[in-house]
Amino acid sequence: MSSNNLLFRYLTFSICLFYLTACGDIKNDLLPSDSDLRESVESGTIGHRPSQISAEFQVTSSEGDLFTLSSYLENGDTPTDAIVLYFTMWCPICLGHSDHMFNTVMPQFRDRGDITFVLVDHISGSIALTRASEIASGYSDSEFITLADTEHTLLNQFHASNGTTVVISATGEILLNEDYRTGKNLIKVLDDLLAQ
Amino acid sequence: MHEQQRGWRQIKLAIIAATLLSPTSLHAASCCGGGSSSSLMLPKTATAMIDLSINQEIYNGFWEADGTRAEYQQGSDLKQFRLNTGFAYRLADNWQTSIVMPYTWNRNKYSGIERNTHGLGDTSISLLYEAFDDITCVWKVRKLSDLKPSIYWGASLILPTGTSPYDNVPDDFDITGRGFYRVDGTLHVEKTIYPFTAAVTFSHGVHIKRSVNREKSNYVEPYNKQLGNRTSITTAASYTYFMESLDTLTATLSYNYLTEGKSTIDGVKDSASGFKKNSISTALAWSDSDNQWILKLSWSHTIDRDNWGENFPITDVFTTGVSYVFQ
Repeated sequence: MSSNNLLFRYLTFSICLFYLTACGDIKNDLLPSDSDLRESVESGTIGHRPSQISAEFQVTSSEGDLFTLSSYLENGDTPTDAIVLYFTMWCPICLGHSDHMFNTVMPQFRDRGDITFVLVDHISGSIALTRASEIASGYSDSEFITLADTEHTLLNQFHASNGTTVVISATGEILLNEDYRTGKNLIKVLDDLLAQ
Repeated sequence: MHEQQRGWRQIKLAIIAATLLSPTSLHAASCCGGGSSSSLMLPKTATAMIDLSINQEIYNGFWEADGTRAEYQQGSDLKQFRLNTGFAYRLADNWQTSIVMPYTWNRNKYSGIERNTHGLGDTSISLLYEAFDDITCVWKVRKLSDLKPSIYWGASLILPTGTSPYDNVPDDFDITGRGFYRVDGTLHVEKTIYPFTAAVTFSHGVHIKRSVNREKSNYVEPYNKQLGNRTSITTAASYTYFMESLDTLTATLSYNYLTEGKSTIDGVKDSASGFKKNSISTALAWSDSDNQWILKLSWSHTIDRDNWGENFPITDVFTTGVSYVFQ
């Protein structure tokens, strides 16, 4: 057998072995499923899924104020119709989403109801850095409240990741918990809520 | 110059051109789904080729959707390493196929988080047709037919073998693939008039629409998603220096324009998607006199200024690679 063939076989075997060991759970993408695999949840129980009730939380804003969920609910000090949480790490896609929310979604609700839009910074690790990112991204004087989720309180509570959008009604019910996508679902949820 | 020596050099130029001027790859941000692979191009005289390369991609900021340059947070250090393994094989005189599999390591440090993850990237399988029968490299243009270029056309299929946002992952730091099949059509034209080579590559890709029932660790109500079409144009020029030993050194300068249209979700455009990117690359390759071993170094640089890209990271990619050609 020539040295070329030996080299070829050795390399092929080694490479196949390496990649076979690297193959994890890739069938989700190779064979995408359209089955709805969400587990059913009991409405009104405490949890992170739509139809469940959000647990109470307290997180500090970029300006050092304490943001307490119950304050914004129907019996709170500053009640609103809904709270929208958007989880950001200030990346290109995140800024695309938050810009879309700011320019397209928020104007539709300025004169209808009272919606509190919140950016949840889950990446910066300090209030000062959250404030710096908020300013750098052009949101310092906007209607957004920016929270520094330094302990990942909200990230864990809502099983969120970058781009997750959560809507909580005045009763504390979670109406939406999914990736931002196009903003269409967010608008529909808020429209439906205000139409009630 | 002796005819045999001249023919040998002609083959060598064809090999260098094929391995250096083949289509460039996309190196996307780890948070946007990196680890894509490029296609390999087999030299005309070769029967097979193994190619190994290591990329290091360093993130220097990003362009916002309007083309404004922006910095990552102070203290951030984002890097991606890729081991690309490729194999090309000649199916017939004018037909070749190849496969490239990347393995990706993400090394991301923000002020509040540090993550080191790794996994298989998206795999590329290609089929290329060579629309020429003989090597077209010439030393002098004596007649019109000497200007005939080497034309390759073909198709690539990107397989979503990487870890995508639609897999069970905690966050974007684990992502090594985009989660979509893509079919690319490619046209590559190159011409060598010793010692210079020029090449142009055009490719257009269409992502296949898919169902999504999971967003990272959460199952969601199923919906359909399709990433936007992708277009890439690369122009390249190179100069080859022959050493006394017939080893060669080839320097290449190339420019790439890459754009991807907006995604649709259940038929609705996602305004935050799509991107544009301009990059300039330089490469240096050494080939031995037997036309078997090729060592490559390259540096791909995206222009660190406003309006040289949109909605995409600004990166430098350093590549070290080796190819072994079976004649």
